[in-house]
Amino acid sequence: MIKKDLTVKAEEGIHARPASMITNTCQKFNCNVKMEKGEKVIDAKSILGVMMLSAKKGDVIAVITDGDDEVEALQAIETLFEKDFE
Amino acid sequence: MFKKLFNKDKDIILKAAMTGKIIPIEEVPDPVFAGKMIGDGIAIEPTEGILVAPIDAEVVAVFPTKHAIGLKTKDGVEIILHIGIETVGMKGEGFECFVQVGDIVKEGQKLVTFDIDLIKEKASSIISPILITNTKDMKSIEKSAGNITKGIDTILTVKK
Repeated sequence: MIKKDLTVKAEEGIHARPASMITNTCQKFNCNVKMEKGEKVIDAKSILGVMMLSAKKGDVIAVITDGDDEVEALQAIETLFEKDFE
Repeated sequence: MFKKLFNKDKDIILKAAMTGKIIPIEEVPDPVFAGKMIGDGIAIEPTEGILVAPIDAEVVAVFPTKHAIGLKTKDGVEIILHIGIETVGMKGEGFECFVQVGDIVKEGQKLVTFDIDLIKEKASSIISPILITNTKDMKSIEKSAGNITKGIDTILTVKK
């Protein structure tokens, strides 16, 4: 299991389109992916889960991947955050 | 008779969340929605700026800009109601939300009111997708068409 804090830099936060990008990316990997913001912990393979975070610009989200391809999955998610989901 | 009693394929009915006209999801002017990347369902071109709950459910997400609401039914159907296209950029202007996360809402209950004219002016479209997001957990989704009245007409019939 690995965990990394990522900061939302995208101006509009994680709304429907970024959420779909996160979910579709996570579904390409076998490992479990969880995202944590404050007390909320959600399954990142569920788009409604990701939207439940209601993440705004500046929010810090802990991404936790667990499984055989956990390193690659975390890298892929980090890339989405770095590119502001463009 | 007993067959019906033991029939697990209970229909889960979603009523119109807005008054207006149904637009096929494939015709929504945004590839993310049209390509069903967020979920499958229909879209509504509303004639009145009121969004109501399409089914009894728990409010699980209210986006800070109030343009999108997430619901989950007790049967586990996950629903996103998304008002307009590119409305996230309006930062909540023109939207008023009447529920919060954790609320249990009844079919037909008012969730959000919105200013149709302002959305038409500031966002790319007023067409509003109503989507089931966990489609792979569902056996089938039957979609209605035509003009609809909120809380009265059926828009989606889901089998789980």
